[in-house]
Amino acid sequence: MIFSLIQAQEDTTAAVDTLTKAYSNKWDAASNLQHANSVLKAASSHDLIFIVLGVTLIIWFVLLFFIIRVDKKLGKLENEMEQSNVKSTS
Amino acid sequence: MKLKPWKYVVAVWMTGVIIAGFLISIPNIPILKQSARNLFFHVPMWFTMAVCFAAGLVYSIKYLNGPSPELDRKAETATQVGLLFGICGLLTGSIWARFTWGTWWTFAEPRMNLSALGMMIYVAYFVLRTAFDDPEKRAKISAVYNVFAATTIPFLLYIIPRQLPSLHPGAEGNPAFSDITAPEMRYVFYPAVVGFIALAVWLIDIMNRYKKVRHQIEQ
Repeated sequence: MIFSLIQAQEDTTAAVDTLTKAYSNKWDAASNLQHANSVLKAASSHDLIFIVLGVTLIIWFVLLFFIIRVDKKLGKLENEMEQSNVKSTS
Repeated sequence: MKLKPWKYVVAVWMTGVIIAGFLISIPNIPILKQSARNLFFHVPMWFTMAVCFAAGLVYSIKYLNGPSPELDRKAETATQVGLLFGICGLLTGSIWARFTWGTWWTFAEPRMNLSALGMMIYVAYFVLRTAFDDPEKRAKISAVYNVFAATTIPFLLYIIPRQLPSLHPGAEGNPAFSDITAPEMRYVFYPAVVGFIALAVWLIDIMNRYKKVRHQIEQ
Protein backbone atom coordinates (compact mmCIF):
# COMPACT_ATOMS: atom_id res chain seq x y z
CA MET A 1 0.00 0.00 0.00
CA ILE A 2 1.14 3.47 -0.84
CA PHE A 3 0.33 4.84 2.57
CA SER A 4 2.54 2.39 4.37
CA LEU A 5 5.38 3.05 1.95
CA ILE A 6 5.38 6.75 2.76
CA GLN A 7 5.21 5.82 6.39
CA ALA A 8 8.22 3.57 6.07
CA GLN A 9 10.21 6.32 4.37
CA GLU A 10 9.51 8.84 7.08
CA ASP A 11 10.51 6.39 9.77
CA THR A 12 13.87 5.53 8.30
CA THR A 13 16.99 7.23 9.51
CA ALA A 14 18.11 7.48 5.87
CA ALA A 15 16.23 10.76 5.43
CA VAL A 16 18.92 13.33 4.67
CA ASP A 17 18.65 16.99 5.49
CA THR A 18 19.92 18.49 2.24
CA LEU A 19 18.76 22.00 2.98
CA THR A 20 21.14 22.79 5.81
CA LYS A 21 23.86 20.21 5.26
CA ALA A 22 25.92 19.31 2.21
CA TYR A 23 25.83 15.75 0.83
CA SER A 24 29.52 15.35 1.32
CA ASN A 25 32.55 17.27 2.38
CA LYS A 26 33.87 17.58 -1.14
CA TRP A 27 32.14 20.99 -1.50
CA ASP A 28 34.46 22.24 1.21
CA ALA A 29 37.14 22.38 -1.45
CA ALA A 30 35.63 25.60 -2.77
CA SER A 31 36.52 27.43 0.44
CA ASN A 32 39.99 25.91 0.63
CA LEU A 33 41.40 27.39 -2.56
CA GLN A 34 44.27 28.96 -0.64
CA HIS A 35 45.55 25.44 0.01
CA ALA A 36 45.13 24.35 -3.63
CA ASN A 37 48.06 24.12 -6.02
CA SER A 38 49.48 27.24 -7.60
CA VAL A 39 47.67 26.79 -10.95
CA LEU A 40 44.27 26.73 -9.26
CA LYS A 41 45.29 29.62 -7.04
CA ALA A 42 46.24 31.72 -10.06
CA ALA A 43 42.99 30.76 -11.82
CA SER A 44 40.89 31.89 -8.86
CA SER A 45 42.59 35.26 -8.42
CA HIS A 46 41.22 38.61 -9.62
CA ASP A 47 37.61 37.96 -8.58
CA LEU A 48 37.42 34.83 -10.78
CA ILE A 49 37.61 36.83 -14.03
CA PHE A 50 39.79 34.06 -15.51
CA ILE A 51 36.96 31.59 -15.02
CA VAL A 52 34.61 33.78 -17.08
CA LEU A 53 37.34 34.14 -19.69
CA GLY A 54 37.75 30.35 -19.79
CA VAL A 55 34.03 29.78 -20.27
CA THR A 56 33.88 32.42 -23.00
CA LEU A 57 36.92 31.02 -24.79
CA ILE A 58 35.47 27.50 -24.75
CA ILE A 59 32.26 28.80 -26.37
CA TRP A 60 34.26 30.86 -28.88
CA PHE A 61 36.52 27.94 -29.86
CA VAL A 62 33.60 25.55 -30.27
CA LEU A 63 31.78 28.05 -32.51
CA LEU A 64 35.00 28.76 -34.41
CA PHE A 65 35.63 25.05 -34.92
CA PHE A 66 32.10 24.71 -36.26
CA ILE A 67 32.45 27.66 -38.66
CA ILE A 68 35.76 26.35 -39.99
CA ARG A 69 34.31 22.87 -40.46
CA VAL A 70 31.27 24.19 -42.38
CA ASP A 71 33.57 26.39 -44.50
CA LYS A 72 35.77 23.41 -45.38
CA LYS A 73 32.81 21.16 -46.18
CA LEU A 74 31.41 23.87 -48.43
CA GLY A 75 34.79 24.20 -50.15
CA LYS A 76 34.78 20.46 -50.85
CA LEU A 77 31.26 20.67 -52.25
CA GLU A 78 32.28 23.59 -54.49
CA ASN A 79 35.18 21.55 -55.86
CA GLU A 80 32.89 18.62 -56.60
CA MET A 81 30.44 20.92 -58.38
CA GLU A 82 33.23 22.42 -60.43
CA GLN A 83 34.59 19.03 -61.45
CA SER A 84 31.16 17.72 -62.45
CA ASN A 85 30.59 20.91 -64.49
CA VAL A 86 33.91 20.44 -66.29
CA LYS A 87 33.03 16.82 -67.03
CA SER A 88 29.60 17.68 -68.37
CA THR A 89 30.87 20.46 -70.67
CA SER A 90 33.88 18.55 -72.08
CA MET B 1 41.24 21.48 -48.09
CA LYS B 2 42.60 24.78 -46.86
CA LEU B 3 40.71 27.90 -45.91
CA LYS B 4 41.70 31.31 -47.17
CA PRO B 5 44.50 32.65 -44.92
CA TRP B 6 42.58 35.76 -43.79
CA LYS B 7 40.07 33.53 -42.04
CA TYR B 8 42.77 32.17 -39.75
CA VAL B 9 43.82 35.76 -39.07
CA VAL B 10 40.22 36.56 -38.04
CA ALA B 11 40.15 33.50 -35.74
CA VAL B 12 43.38 34.46 -33.97
CA TRP B 13 42.46 38.17 -33.94
CA MET B 14 39.07 37.59 -32.28
CA THR B 15 40.63 35.23 -29.74
CA GLY B 16 43.07 38.00 -28.87
CA VAL B 17 40.24 40.53 -28.59
CA ILE B 18 38.31 38.28 -26.18
CA ILE B 19 41.37 37.68 -23.99
CA ALA B 20 42.34 41.36 -23.97
CA GLY B 21 38.73 42.40 -23.36
CA PHE B 22 38.59 40.28 -20.21
CA LEU B 23 42.06 40.95 -18.88
CA ILE B 24 42.79 44.63 -19.60
CA SER B 25 42.64 46.60 -16.38
CA ILE B 26 39.85 49.15 -16.39
CA PRO B 27 39.06 51.85 -13.84
CA ASN B 28 36.24 51.08 -11.44
CA ILE B 29 33.19 53.13 -12.44
CA PRO B 30 30.23 53.11 -10.05
CA ILE B 31 27.16 51.14 -11.28
CA LEU B 32 29.00 49.92 -14.40
CA LYS B 33 31.84 48.17 -12.53
CA GLN B 34 33.27 45.26 -14.56
CA SER B 35 30.29 45.40 -16.95
CA ALA B 36 32.08 48.30 -18.64
CA ARG B 37 33.87 45.50 -20.54
CA ASN B 38 30.61 44.99 -22.43
CA LEU B 39 31.77 47.98 -24.48
CA PHE B 40 34.07 45.53 -26.30
CA PHE B 41 31.27 43.13 -27.19
CA HIS B 42 27.90 44.93 -27.19
CA VAL B 43 28.82 48.04 -29.16
CA PRO B 44 30.66 46.22 -32.01
CA MET B 45 27.42 44.24 -32.60
CA TRP B 46 25.78 47.49 -33.75
CA PHE B 47 28.79 48.61 -35.76
CA THR B 48 28.85 45.26 -37.53
CA MET B 49 25.11 45.37 -38.12
CA ALA B 50 25.40 48.82 -39.68
CA VAL B 51 28.21 47.67 -42.01
CA CYS B 52 26.22 44.57 -43.07
CA PHE B 53 23.06 46.58 -43.74
CA ALA B 54 25.10 49.12 -45.72
CA ALA B 55 26.53 46.27 -47.82
CA GLY B 56 23.00 44.95 -48.34
CA LEU B 57 21.91 48.41 -49.49
CA VAL B 58 24.78 48.60 -52.00
CA TYR B 59 23.93 45.16 -53.43
CA SER B 60 20.24 46.05 -53.63
CA ILE B 61 21.00 49.26 -55.55
CA LYS B 62 23.35 47.31 -57.81
CA TYR B 63 20.59 44.81 -58.40
CA LEU B 64 18.17 47.54 -59.40
CA ASN B 65 20.79 48.89 -61.82
CA GLY B 66 21.51 45.52 -63.42
CA PRO B 67 19.45 42.61 -62.14
CA SER B 68 21.22 39.30 -61.54
CA PRO B 69 20.41 36.44 -59.14
CA GLU B 70 23.89 36.74 -57.64
CA LEU B 71 23.36 40.34 -56.52
CA ASP B 72 20.01 39.40 -55.00
CA ARG B 73 21.67 36.56 -53.07
CA LYS B 74 24.40 38.86 -51.82
CA ALA B 75 21.94 41.52 -50.70
CA GLU B 76 19.89 38.91 -48.85
CA THR B 77 22.93 37.39 -47.13
CA ALA B 78 24.38 40.70 -45.98
CA THR B 79 20.99 41.62 -44.53
CA GLN B 80 20.65 38.22 -42.83
CA VAL B 81 23.99 38.50 -41.09
CA GLY B 82 23.28 42.14 -40.25
CA LEU B 83 20.00 41.18 -38.60
CA LEU B 84 21.79 38.40 -36.70
CA PHE B 85 24.22 40.90 -35.21
CA GLY B 86 21.42 43.40 -34.56
CA ILE B 87 19.49 40.81 -32.55
CA CYS B 88 22.67 40.00 -30.60
CA GLY B 89 22.97 43.75 -29.92
CA LEU B 90 19.40 43.93 -28.62
CA LEU B 91 19.82 40.88 -26.36
CA THR B 92 23.18 41.96 -24.96
CA GLY B 93 21.85 45.49 -24.46
CA SER B 94 18.85 44.14 -22.58
CA ILE B 95 20.91 42.07 -20.16
CA TRP B 96 23.30 44.99 -19.63
CA ALA B 97 20.37 47.32 -18.94
CA ARG B 98 18.97 44.95 -16.30
CA PHE B 99 22.08 45.30 -14.15
CA THR B 100 22.88 48.97 -14.74
CA TRP B 101 19.52 50.65 -15.33
CA GLY B 102 17.56 48.07 -13.31
CA THR B 103 15.22 46.85 -16.06
CA TRP B 104 15.33 44.39 -18.93
CA TRP B 105 13.38 46.78 -21.11
CA THR B 106 12.11 50.32 -20.72
CA PHE B 107 9.86 52.21 -23.07
CA ALA B 108 11.39 55.43 -21.75
CA GLU B 109 14.67 54.65 -23.54
CA PRO B 110 14.46 55.83 -27.17
CA ARG B 111 17.58 54.06 -28.45
CA MET B 112 16.36 50.70 -27.15
CA ASN B 113 12.91 50.98 -28.68
CA LEU B 114 13.96 52.52 -31.98
CA SER B 115 16.63 49.85 -32.53
CA ALA B 116 13.97 47.19 -31.86
CA LEU B 117 11.78 48.95 -34.43
CA GLY B 118 14.68 48.91 -36.89
CA MET B 119 15.10 45.16 -36.40
CA MET B 120 11.38 44.66 -37.05
CA ILE B 121 11.64 46.62 -40.30
CA TYR B 122 14.36 44.18 -41.36
CA VAL B 123 12.39 41.15 -40.21
CA ALA B 124 9.65 42.42 -42.55
CA TYR B 125 12.22 42.24 -45.39
CA PHE B 126 12.46 38.47 -44.93
CA VAL B 127 8.70 38.11 -44.51
CA LEU B 128 8.30 40.02 -47.77
CA ARG B 129 10.75 37.69 -49.52
CA THR B 130 8.68 34.66 -48.62
CA ALA B 131 5.60 36.20 -50.25
CA PHE B 132 6.79 35.69 -53.85
CA ASP B 133 7.24 32.47 -55.81
CA ASP B 134 8.74 34.18 -58.84
CA PRO B 135 12.45 34.76 -58.05
CA GLU B 136 12.76 37.86 -60.28
CA LYS B 137 9.72 39.52 -58.78
CA ARG B 138 10.93 38.64 -55.29
CA ALA B 139 14.39 40.01 -55.99
CA LYS B 140 13.15 43.28 -57.46
CA ILE B 141 10.54 44.11 -54.83
CA SER B 142 12.76 43.09 -51.92
CA ALA B 143 15.58 45.23 -53.36
CA VAL B 144 13.26 48.24 -53.39
CA TYR B 145 12.11 47.45 -49.85
CA ASN B 146 15.72 47.06 -48.71
CA VAL B 147 16.54 50.58 -49.93
CA PHE B 148 13.67 51.86 -47.79
CA ALA B 149 14.71 49.75 -44.78
CA ALA B 150 18.33 50.87 -44.95
CA THR B 151 17.38 54.54 -45.08
CA THR B 152 15.43 54.23 -41.81
CA ILE B 153 18.44 52.92 -39.87
CA PRO B 154 20.45 56.18 -39.63
CA PHE B 155 17.36 58.00 -38.38
CA LEU B 156 16.27 55.30 -35.93
CA LEU B 157 19.71 54.56 -34.49
CA TYR B 158 21.76 57.70 -34.87
CA ILE B 159 19.61 60.80 -35.32
CA ILE B 160 16.41 60.51 -33.25
CA PRO B 161 18.01 58.99 -30.11
CA ARG B 162 20.38 61.95 -29.93
CA GLN B 163 17.51 64.42 -29.89
CA LEU B 164 15.76 62.79 -26.92
CA PRO B 165 16.67 62.47 -23.24
CA SER B 166 18.29 59.06 -22.75
CA LEU B 167 20.20 56.97 -20.23
CA HIS B 168 22.16 55.31 -23.00
CA PRO B 169 25.61 56.82 -23.57
CA GLY B 170 25.56 58.82 -26.76
CA ALA B 171 22.99 61.46 -26.03
CA GLU B 172 26.00 63.79 -26.04
CA GLY B 173 26.96 62.77 -29.57
CA ASN B 174 29.11 59.66 -29.53
CA PRO B 175 27.15 56.46 -28.96
CA ALA B 176 30.04 54.35 -27.68
CA PHE B 177 32.09 56.78 -25.63
CA SER B 178 31.19 59.29 -23.00
CA ASP B 179 33.32 61.23 -20.54
CA ILE B 180 33.22 58.32 -18.07
CA THR B 181 34.73 55.92 -20.61
CA ALA B 182 38.39 55.25 -19.87
CA PRO B 183 40.54 56.22 -22.88
CA GLU B 184 42.61 52.99 -22.72
CA MET B 185 39.48 50.98 -23.52
CA ARG B 186 39.76 52.22 -27.08
CA TYR B 187 42.82 49.99 -27.56
CA VAL B 188 40.57 46.95 -27.26
CA PHE B 189 37.37 48.51 -28.58
CA TYR B 190 38.57 49.38 -32.10
CA PRO B 191 40.23 45.97 -32.69
CA ALA B 192 36.99 44.38 -31.44
CA VAL B 193 34.98 46.36 -34.02
CA VAL B 194 37.38 45.29 -36.79
CA GLY B 195 37.32 41.68 -35.58
CA PHE B 196 33.53 41.40 -35.43
CA ILE B 197 33.14 43.00 -38.86
CA ALA B 198 35.68 40.53 -40.26
CA LEU B 199 33.76 37.69 -38.60
CA ALA B 200 30.57 38.95 -40.27
CA VAL B 201 32.36 39.03 -43.64
CA TRP B 202 33.38 35.43 -43.04
CA LEU B 203 29.79 34.38 -42.28
CA ILE B 204 28.54 36.29 -45.34
CA ASP B 205 31.15 34.49 -47.46
CA ILE B 206 30.01 31.06 -46.23
CA MET B 207 26.33 31.89 -46.79
CA ASN B 208 26.94 33.26 -50.30
CA ARG B 209 28.93 30.20 -51.37
CA TYR B 210 26.26 27.91 -49.95
CA LYS B 211 23.53 29.78 -51.85
CA LYS B 212 25.59 29.66 -55.06
CA VAL B 213 26.00 25.88 -54.83
CA ARG B 214 22.30 25.49 -54.07
CA HIS B 215 21.46 27.66 -57.08
CA GLN B 216 23.68 25.51 -59.33
CA ILE B 217 22.04 22.32 -58.10
CA GLU B 218 18.56 23.72 -58.65
CA GLN B 219 19.29 24.50 -62.28
